Amino acid sequence: MAVAEFSWAVSKNRFAFPAIGVTGSKLSDEVLIGNARWFIIFRWVVIGVLILFQIFALVASDTLTKIGITHQQGWPIAVTMVLCVANIAYIYALDFRQSTQYNSPSINIWSQIIVDLLCLSVVVHFIGSTATPAPFFYVLHIALSCIFFSTIESLIVTILVCIMYGIVLLGENPLLFLASQSMLVDSSTPSVNPLKVNILLWMVTLDVLFFTVWYVVSRLSIVVRTHERQLLDAYEQISLAQVEKDRYAVLMTHQLKAPLDAIRSKINLIKGDYCGVASPEIKEVILKIDSRASGMAALILDVLKLERLKAAARSSNALEHVNIETVISKCIDKLKPIANSRQITIEAFIENFVVKGIPDQLEILFENIIANAITYSYNGRSVEIASAIDKRDSSASVTIIDHGIGIGDKDLPHIFDEYFYTPRAALHNRTSSGIGLSIVKTVAENNKLHIKVLSEQNVGTIFSVVFQDAKTSFAPQKNYAAI
Amino acid sequence: MHTSIQRLGPDKLSSQLTNSILANEDCATYRIAHIDDDPDIRDTVRRILSANGYIVDSYQTMGDFIKALQDSKNHPNLAVLDVMVETMDSGLEAYVEIRKRFPEIPMIFMTSLGEEIRPYFTGVTDEWILIVEKPVEPTSFLSIIRSRLDNSKSAADSS
Repeated sequence: MAVAEFSWAVSKNRFAFPAIGVTGSKLSDEVLIGNARWFIIFRWVVIGVLILFQIFALVASDTLTKIGITHQQGWPIAVTMVLCVANIAYIYALDFRQSTQYNSPSINIWSQIIVDLLCLSVVVHFIGSTATPAPFFYVLHIALSCIFFSTIESLIVTILVCIMYGIVLLGENPLLFLASQSMLVDSSTPSVNPLKVNILLWMVTLDVLFFTVWYVVSRLSIVVRTHERQLLDAYEQISLAQVEKDRYAVLMTHQLKAPLDAIRSKINLIKGDYCGVASPEIKEVILKIDSRASGMAALILDVLKLERLKAAARSSNALEHVNIETVISKCIDKLKPIANSRQITIEAFIENFVVKGIPDQLEILFENIIANAITYSYNGRSVEIASAIDKRDSSASVTIIDHGIGIGDKDLPHIFDEYFYTPRAALHNRTSSGIGLSIVKTVAENNKLHIKVLSEQNVGTIFSVVFQDAKTSFAPQKNYAAI
Repeated sequence: MHTSIQRLGPDKLSSQLTNSILANEDCATYRIAHIDDDPDIRDTVRRILSANGYIVDSYQTMGDFIKALQDSKNHPNLAVLDVMVETMDSGLEAYVEIRKRFPEIPMIFMTSLGEEIRPYFTGVTDEWILIVEKPVEPTSFLSIIRSRLDNSKSAADSS
């Protein structure tokens, strides 16, 4: 005896986002390399600014001296040189050397940060460590490190910044702390005190500012990273669901169409006289059964096709160069037997051109339009297919003309609506599904095409598919009539 | 056991189906394996091929077919495979296995989904796979079978 238990009580929280500790997460090498490259580009800009500064210094050195910036020592040239050499070294390490234990993207980035901070400290020292905007550029480094690194790493950068700024201030006033102590003991030197208090105040204030900026920006970047991760997860779930949906659609289509195919296979046995010769009456009935069944089979496949085309619109399909003549001849070859069975001639006047598009989809588009033209033609008439390229604005068009029942003025605006069909069309063609033109519309959307429809009831319809950016094909022009 | 191997020789059938066109003598030696879980399709294919002088081995599952290939030295000249037999992928899995173990057997696929099944073949093999859409239409089905057999024969002759 076999026993199986089934339970549906377990909640499948498929779309819940996992709680991630983004704070301590290490960034992948790929992201680090991307950031390193971005820093390098940014540094070239800074180098450019420094060079401009030097040109300005040459032209108007007096003005600079007046503002209190010392440039005579040649520090801008030194900083520019150091940054240039460093930048070239980073590029060399990133692009031309194997990544090893001592040449990893993270070491590269850390050396960039340290060299940058050293250079900035030199700049700060010469421009003025207090009472000038120079020290505020440290904030930029902190903000950048918060955006690109993990929280711990950006905290290390912040501490480094504080230390370096402290060193700059100490270097300028070696007796900074001693003096302030002596200030308490010896009150006879009041003239020095305000300056030292001032420097200490700058240091403390800026250090507080650096940590505040670190805290605020790193919090923000944690939020942004969490959202980014959630978005990625959601996108992954959507792609998985898409695959699952396609499998389901394929399975359903198969289950619906398979019995019909079995029926039609048996009908084909009777039609082909494999079960003895059938009377003409039986054959006629059998043909009618087959025609209805084939309409239903086509509808089932069209639903799957439409679903797939809609899904294709969401994924980025690679556009290829498509030779329009090949596409149209394929369609004509496919549809010729149907046209012949109703004494309809297909006349093609093809001026070949090449457009960018998705080849399979363009084939589906023309197959549907030409099949419609044949279906709604009167028996014994012709379907004309012509293509032309307009060299002035490099646009091209394919026009399909039929002489048939046409479309009423009232219905014309709705022909591309999903599952839309008119009683007139249904009377003319019992197997109409109302999907064919929805497929055409979806393909046109995916390939960014323009379609113009002209129609007069009981006279016929003209479909023009317009392509932008068409190129002339060098193949010889062909005019042929196909029957 | 659900191995259902039905064999009907041309001699037996020619009397049964007097009106069907018998193919030339040369075809009588061709053996075609057909795998499909739908008994109606199996029956249709068997009738059409047998009436035209082929020997048909029908199998209900891919497992049955592969087992028959292992047990017998007399392999078919062509195999007609359904894609979705028991599960969605069984046809593809069988294709990969047969291609690996019995590379000399040419195969074609027959499925209700026609060309729409092709996305499922991407990544399975680099070879071009012939897919025939159901229903079985005698004239076109026979011409496909004939051209496939001719192709594999000329390939065998040249090698």
